[in-house]
Amino acid sequence: MRRQASIENQALDWLVKRQSPEWASDDHDDLDAWLNESIAHKAAFWRAEYGWRQTDRLQSLGLKAGLVAARSQARFRWIPFAAAASLVAFLAIGAFAFGPDLANQPRTIVQQVQHQTAIGGREEFELPDGSRVELNTSTTVRAAVSEARREVWLDSGEAFFDVVHDPDRPFIVHAGGKTITVLGTKFSVRRDESHAIVSVLEGRVRIDELAGPSHKVTIVEDGGTAYSRNSSILLAAKSAKRVRNSLAWRKGELSFEQAPLSEVVSEFNRYNETKLLVSDDDAANILIGGSFKTSSTDSFVRLLRDAYGLNIQREGDTVRISTY
Amino acid sequence: MIDDDTLHSWFVRDILPLERGLTGYIRRNWRTAEDVLELRQDIYERALTGARRGIPSNSRAYLYTVARNHLINQATKSQIVSIEAVADLDTVDRSLDLFEAERVLDARDKLRLAQTGIDKLPPKCREIVILQKVKGFTDREAAEILGVSVETVRRQIKLGMKALIDHMLGGSGRIVRSDYRARKKRVKKP
Repeated sequence: MRRQASIENQALDWLVKRQSPEWASDDHDDLDAWLNESIAHKAAFWRAEYGWRQTDRLQSLGLKAGLVAARSQARFRWIPFAAAASLVAFLAIGAFAFGPDLANQPRTIVQQVQHQTAIGGREEFELPDGSRVELNTSTTVRAAVSEARREVWLDSGEAFFDVVHDPDRPFIVHAGGKTITVLGTKFSVRRDESHAIVSVLEGRVRIDELAGPSHKVTIVEDGGTAYSRNSSILLAAKSAKRVRNSLAWRKGELSFEQAPLSEVVSEFNRYNETKLLVSDDDAANILIGGSFKTSSTDSFVRLLRDAYGLNIQREGDTVRISTY
Repeated sequence: MIDDDTLHSWFVRDILPLERGLTGYIRRNWRTAEDVLELRQDIYERALTGARRGIPSNSRAYLYTVARNHLINQATKSQIVSIEAVADLDTVDRSLDLFEAERVLDARDKLRLAQTGIDKLPPKCREIVILQKVKGFTDREAAEILGVSVETVRRQIKLGMKALIDHMLGGSGRIVRSDYRARKKRVKKP
């Protein structure tokens, strides 16, 4: 191998290695030592580093705001920093890269909170980092914000997250056997016994499937919805409208586009003590479109009676809907 | 003695943006195309070594002086380059500005240039570069997403990196898979 090719090759190896989250302060010392071996090494490495940095604008095509750019800043720093600082930087990157693996490690909890809503309830709260969380009906979440990461456990229900960018602190939502790591900004997670639905309004999120034999990773981009049941994930085709419909609850509404009555009814039932019950298939398959107030079961039922000619019977807390 | 930080920022700010012009200059004044990268690396080394004693006031003139001297030294040592080539070197300087107006790239230019660079990459390599550079995944994450080994990701990102760096600094930006054995044979030929 020619001299130049060999030096360039080594310089590129260093650059690749330094991008890796496993890069530690020891590696940094090794790189320094290599650079100090000769001016040739410096010339080649500085050139490669400079050239590679010229492509940084590409990041603007990926994530809308700062996460990647800021992460790479932390990682691409070559100017020697104090050992302590580099350790912190490494931990932050490491925590992001390994995600849940580091969950067991002790760290200072800055604040831990729990929030809960009753059936039909809605609540919004702010985390210490400024991120906002909106809880839908019948939802329980716990949140812990530390210096290294921001974590939310969605124990049940549905929540919408508007996450403040903080490259040093990944934002992670745990929903059963899944973790959703935020690479972008606004998204919602809904969870019940068997499945989880992740809808992304802005930016991108990563879903890690931890249950089951293999660790699966799914990326959901804005306008995307991921339906996961047990260990399989269905990624719906991009539809900003579907995502907006699924987030109508944030305005206290339910929004449907030609959804079967059975589905509409089960949505209503999430928000109300009064339970709607569809007693025959003909009624269950009627397609419904439009927006409704989550709380107005009565007017919805009246609509079914008046517009669709369905038969309505009340029995205590149950409203029975049928075609005859 | 200039410290490393100062030297580094000078090299990045004043010298590397001239690479396109410098490469063209070497290419025009040297008969053997395969030597160009080698010579450029030598010139960078010499420029850095010289600047260690003091940062030159006119970096551009300085770089081309270093380049010319180096080419003359190499030419007189070498059997390959004829003496006319050396004579030409003195006249080239004046026409430099006509040949190479180094462009200062703004952010939009850089993005456009980087995009064309990415488009030139082979599909697999492109995918990995996009995952890492554009989407910000680590090599391990990229490996998981694509179902390949981390080593594969690193090998591909390195190929892509090399091509993109050349592209950004004004070269062809094509992936050159050098067959080193073949090249050795060629070099040995008289």
